[in-house]
Amino acid sequence: MSMTVPTRFLIGPVPTGADKDRVVQQTDNDALLARWSAINSGYLEDTFTEQLMDPLLKKERRYPLINRGTYVRTSTIDRLVADFLSKPTKSMKQIISLGAGSDTRFFRFIPGQSRPFLYHELDFPVVTTRKIKSIQQGQDFILGMSCFGEPNIKVDLEAGSLQSQYYYIHPIDLRTVKPGSPIPEHIDPTLPTLFISECCLIYLSPNEADDIFRWIVQSFGQASETKSNSVGIILYEPIKGGDGFGLTMIENLAVRGIVLKTLHKYSSLERQIARMQALGFTSGNGACDINYIHNKWIEAREMERIDKLELLDEREEWTMLAQHYCVAWGWVERGQQFEDTDHTPFRKWSELLQQEDIGPVQD
Amino acid sequence: MSDLDGAVELLRQCRPIPELQVREICFKAREILIEEANVQIVDAPVTICGDIHGQFHDLMELFKVGGDCPDTNYLFMGDFVDRGFYSLESFLLLLCLKVRFPDRITLIRGNHESRQITTVYGFYDECIRKYGSANVWRYCCDVFDYLALGALVIGAGTSVQPTRSADGDDIETRVREAEDEVEIEVIGLGGVVTRQMLRREAGMINSTNLTPSALPHLSSSGPAGPLLTGIPGTGASGNSRGIATPNNAPANTGGAVLCVHGGLSPLIDSVDKIRLLDRKQEVPHDGAMCDLLWSDPEEIDGWGLSPRGAGFLFGADIVKQFNHLNNLTLIARAHQLVMEGFKEMFDSSIVTVWSAPNYCYRCGNVAAILELGEDNSNAVLRSGGEEVLFNRENTRRLASTYMGGSMKRGGPGRRYRVFEAAAQDSRGMPSKKPMPYYFL
Ligand SMILES: C[S@@+](CC[C@H](N)C(=O)[O-])C[C@H]1O[C@@H](n2cnc3c(N)ncnc32)[C@H](O)[C@@H]1O
Repeated sequence: MSMTVPTRFLIGPVPTGADKDRVVQQTDNDALLARWSAINSGYLEDTFTEQLMDPLLKKERRYPLINRGTYVRTSTIDRLVADFLSKPTKSMKQIISLGAGSDTRFFRFIPGQSRPFLYHELDFPVVTTRKIKSIQQGQDFILGMSCFGEPNIKVDLEAGSLQSQYYYIHPIDLRTVKPGSPIPEHIDPTLPTLFISECCLIYLSPNEADDIFRWIVQSFGQASETKSNSVGIILYEPIKGGDGFGLTMIENLAVRGIVLKTLHKYSSLERQIARMQALGFTSGNGACDINYIHNKWIEAREMERIDKLELLDEREEWTMLAQHYCVAWGWVERGQQFEDTDHTPFRKWSELLQQEDIGPVQD
Repeated sequence: MSDLDGAVELLRQCRPIPELQVREICFKAREILIEEANVQIVDAPVTICGDIHGQFHDLMELFKVGGDCPDTNYLFMGDFVDRGFYSLESFLLLLCLKVRFPDRITLIRGNHESRQITTVYGFYDECIRKYGSANVWRYCCDVFDYLALGALVIGAGTSVQPTRSADGDDIETRVREAEDEVEIEVIGLGGVVTRQMLRREAGMINSTNLTPSALPHLSSSGPAGPLLTGIPGTGASGNSRGIATPNNAPANTGGAVLCVHGGLSPLIDSVDKIRLLDRKQEVPHDGAMCDLLWSDPEEIDGWGLSPRGAGFLFGADIVKQFNHLNNLTLIARAHQLVMEGFKEMFDSSIVTVWSAPNYCYRCGNVAAILELGEDNSNAVLRSGGEEVLFNRENTRRLASTYMGGSMKRGGPGRRYRVFEAAAQDSRGMPSKKPMPYYFL
């Protein structure tokens, strides 16, 4: 079928760079509202999301298939994060959330840990400022930051930065991060580090996104003369922009001014895996679509619980939608000859059930 | 009825009509529907349509492609509402047409024609948004309870009149030379004949060998398709109105086509059992009535649990057994999105028809409607057994000529008209309205 560029987008005022950035920044509200709906409908447990919501945002329940998709997205990344945290290492672990937006993982994970970890969130200043304001108003956030002692919270609201003992928010435009870029203050590249891009790098150009990968692999996870190290990444993003559903998605999002910039380059599971491999996450890597994860990863008992929450009438639509999003992961271990365990935290990921039909490389 | 035509006019422009008039139309519709059987009998020719889901502008496209009501006799298999932006206008227009031409349009109930589902999937919210109260939603729900659960199409022909393709390709000649009938014809986008399958070569057609956007202009008349031993019979031949129950039909006449929104139920082994149900209620969470509206065919043996949380999955064996016992040649159902608009399964014993193109403004699919023609040999056939015999002879001859002695397949002649979503500008998507949700 023929897909035309929506005229509304073409004839409107030419969007400036700032306009385009604003559009991308607003996508966090979409993620936030979707998560609120899934929490509100019983799929997820998270008391923090609601407290991050601007009171002006219209709280609307999403359709069951959207709730289900949000559930699989959140719980799958949670699972990979939990795997990383559960493996004991000599050094403290560090997690860096790219385009974190309204990410609540630090607050959800920290109370259950026996040892603290460092959590850094990176996003545009407008987004981080907004989030810090909400955090300052909610008592639960302060409690979270105090789990392992006096948090020493320092806030620069204007700049959009927050520092505490273990939790940091950095106002950074990721497009400025390239191989050789300095490591942001308080981030420690000698620690075993997990990066998360939950629907973030897709908004960067392929070059910019690849540069972030290169920066990560060059600056993090390097072994020293005395210890091993490792770095890994989790991606969640759309795939398959070339079929009827994908083309319609591109067209619909274009009406809002949203461009999924790396969708074409990393359009299939195979290409996502090749990306991990080519850019240096070579010790282990994989990619599965959300439909596969939904069918194969989620435990029967949990599935039963989910099925009871809402009727899922949109069965074929669900399958199609879920096949257009993927979770990809990869890591690299260095200095394995050392006795310490800092190269090992990603090893649980090698037990993950892998999808076989990753194919075809589509254009 | 006050100014029904005026209401139709407004609705055709996708404009809501006054609440009082909605009440009146719903009341009138109920009076008509209450008289209908659980399984309505419908004479071919008829055009069978699947889910609409409030995609009003695409419904207009459907009428453009299939012809206007009452010129065309329509059968809609439910799911008029929810998901799209114009459930109200779509359903009310169909309802007005029902009131105006009760014998030219049949509406059967889909699983979305329910109080519970419409509160989740948008119709309720749309009514509140457009009228400021739930009254109109309530009137419509009361109508839902009276919609038939299924329909039985009788008198369909075993072949369709081949359509002459626009570029003058002489298909008719070819067909005549082959001394054969067109069992399946597909009219693709732009009204171009994209496929004609002769009775002897018609196999299962579906997504794997048929993509509307890339349809071969004409199927080559190669060797016969997969050899299929379909249900014995010569297709739906002239049942007179008197023989309404297929079970009672003489064994040597063809069967009928059962239309239902979802599919079969383990609690229902005959069409008569559907007739015994008390349908005038909200769709229950389980039981026969629920299954008819919720179930799906699937490549399994027997019955399976449905991932939808209601209804069942049923396999080829179930369909073939049911069709055989009830002298049906085909089950037509909707309920599942199919990217190509239609999909035949289980040796063409069941077909899914989907009539909402680019479903939810998101899925990028095309839509289809299914035309069943009249049995052209009716007049002759009805006059007595001799012609039936001829027909059997004919069958045997064809069978031995083309299929190495195996039985001729017995589906009705089917013409699928494939269509795309209405053009973006005419769709009039409210620009402020959020587009379909994506994960961002
Ligand atoms: C769709 S949201 C996802 C938010 C969060 N990761 C989640 O999944 O809930 C995308 C986020 O990426 C951020 N982002 C996009 N491009 C960025 C850039 N160049 N620099 C920093 N942040 C960026 C946006 O501001 C936004 O908060």
